[in-house]
Amino acid sequence: MDIAVRGIALFLFVFLLTRVIGRRELSTLQPFDLILLIVLGDLIQQGLTQDDYSVTGAVIAVSTIAALQVLTSYVSFRFRWARRILDGEPLVLVQAGRVIEKNLRRERMTVEDVAEKARASQIASLEDVQWAVFEPSGAISFIPKQ
Amino acid sequence: MADVPDAIVLKRDRDLEGRENDVWVRRVLMALVAAIPVVALFNVFGQRPDTHTLVGPAASLKIYAPARLRAGLLYEARFHVTARQELKDAYLVLGPGWAEGMSINTIEPSPVSEASNAGRLSLELGHLPAGQSYILFMQFQVNPTNVAFGRRQTVWLTDGKTRLLTFSRDITIFP
Repeated sequence: MDIAVRGIALFLFVFLLTRVIGRRELSTLQPFDLILLIVLGDLIQQGLTQDDYSVTGAVIAVSTIAALQVLTSYVSFRFRWARRILDGEPLVLVQAGRVIEKNLRRERMTVEDVAEKARASQIASLEDVQWAVFEPSGAISFIPKQ
Repeated sequence: MADVPDAIVLKRDRDLEGRENDVWVRRVLMALVAAIPVVALFNVFGQRPDTHTLVGPAASLKIYAPARLRAGLLYEARFHVTARQELKDAYLVLGPGWAEGMSINTIEPSPVSEASNAGRLSLELGHLPAGQSYILFMQFQVNPTNVAFGRRQTVWLTDGKTRLLTFSRDITIFP
C-alpha cells in the first residue's frame, strides 16, 4: 500500500513541478538539463520504492504511475477546463513578423530564443514568420508568411 | 495565410484575456516549491540532532538525538550520564517510542544487561562512581515504512529501582 501512496504523492509533485517550471525549461534540453533529469529520476526512485527490491514492488510502482498518467490524460481529454490546467494552452509569440514581447516575458523567453528556434525551422528572420505559437508541449510552431 | 491558425483564439492565446492571473498562480506555486529547501535548511524535516540536558541531585543526563527524522535515515542517539553521587546500579530505560519502527544497529558500549521493563528497553549501565561519566551510543535506522507524528520518546535514568531523571519528547518521522 505504501508504494502506491508514495507513487501517487510523487506523481502529483512531479506533475506540479513540470507545470510550474514552465515550458521553456522543459523544451530546451541542454546537456545539463539532461543530467538533472536523470538525477531527478534517481531521487524519485529512492523515495518511491526505498528498500523494496521486489518485482511486486516495481509492478505496484509502475502500475500506479501508469494508471495516473492515463487518468490525467483522460481527464484532460474529457474536460476542456482540465486540459487548460493539466496541459496548458498555446501562446502566440509572433504575429505577422511582429514579436509580442509581453508574451515572451511571460515565458521568460527572449527574441533570440525565438529566433534560434526559427532558424532550426529553416526560417532566417522572424519578419518572415506569420505566426509563431508556443505550444503546450514546449515546442514553438512557426507558420511562415506566404 | 493571414488567417488565424486552427484552435488558436487570439483573445485568449495572444491577448491573454482570462489568462492574466495564470502566471501568478504559477509563480506562487513555484515559490512554494522553492520554499521547501529553505524550510529544510531550518531543520523542519530533520535530521539535525537536538541536545537536552537534565540535571538532578544524583546525576545528570545529556541526550543528543534528532527529534525530526525521515524514513530510511541512519542516525545516532547519544546518552551522556554523569554521576553526581555514586550510582550503585545505573539503568537507562528507553520507552517503546525509541524502538518502534526502528532498526537498532548497535549499542556501544554494550550494556551489562538488556531486559524488558514493562515494554520498555532497560539497559543496565552498572556501577558509576560519583563524578564519573558514561556515554552510551546507539545507532539507529528508521525503517522505510515508518511514519510518525508526535510519537512519544521517553528516557528514564534509574539507580536500581529508584527513578532519578525522566525525559520525554515527541518525535516526527516524515515519509
